Amino acid sequence: MTFEEMPDEWQEWLELTPLERFRQSEQLFAQYLDMGGSLDPDPDPTSPFYDPETSSTGAAYGRPGLRVLRRGAV
Amino acid sequence: MGGQACVFYGAAQFSKDVDLALLASEENFSRLLAALGALNAKRIAVPRFDPALLARGHAVHFRCQGGAADGLRVDVMTRLRDLPDFEVLWARRATIRDEDGETFELLSVEDLVQAKKTQREKDWPLIDALVEGHYRALGGEPTPKRVAFWLAESRTPERLMGLAQRFPNEARAQSSRRPLLRLAFSGESEALREALDAEARAEQAKDRAYWAPLKAELETFRRAEREGS
Repeated sequence: MTFEEMPDEWQEWLELTPLERFRQSEQLFAQYLDMGGSLDPDPDPTSPFYDPETSSTGAAYGRPGLRVLRRGAV
Repeated sequence: MGGQACVFYGAAQFSKDVDLALLASEENFSRLLAALGALNAKRIAVPRFDPALLARGHAVHFRCQGGAADGLRVDVMTRLRDLPDFEVLWARRATIRDEDGETFELLSVEDLVQAKKTQREKDWPLIDALVEGHYRALGGEPTPKRVAFWLAESRTPERLMGLAQRFPNEARAQSSRRPLLRLAFSGESEALREALDAEARAEQAKDRAYWAPLKAELETFRRAEREGS
């Protein structure tokens, strides 16, 4: 899907800076946990790590305020 | 290197775990185990933590217990399929610093795209989004390396046709390595879509072949742990 074909929500997401995305991600993650979201991996039989016996629950991660120092290879 | 990196690059909105690619050295392993100890992280799946297993391509899975990171999963690898040694990945990394001065080292978007070429269906839309996000952010500032990256990794017919129009010489030059680029010139979007799908299926087959012996080992480890418990 090209940028132009993406839903508005995703276009807005891509228009954010990495710093802004990280901050928003923290908020989304907190909301997810507040709603009782699980940190167990989604069952995915196509994953080489898939093991039906492995699961658990948990809490939040992340911190605000990031900026790009170097962009990497490309 | 995984979902958290995808958040920074715009391909995901949040991730439920943290994936770490590490330099395989004794000193580094000591630091890792100390950090995991501080988080009261316990191994939650096979294999056990063993540098030799990591060197063969296995991942070791931990879960933090208690504190602010309670329940968070941390996966550790030192080798990724079809990617160069850690030293090369490190040299190509992206570095991000927060307002308090703490740095986060991310797999470069180029390497993250390679790492996401897995047998898992859920990874492929992330590749689309990573490349599209990169093009959206930097399409106005093309460099030879960036153009090569977009031509090599874009996964939508519309984008590939646009790139072939915009960078015809580069696309022709790269078509020997990625033959489906020839379809981008002729505007055959349905044929291009099918070729992209075939390309993904071929990569997934490679990934399955890579993991087949490792999965067999994992099953052996699981059996041994069940029998030992």
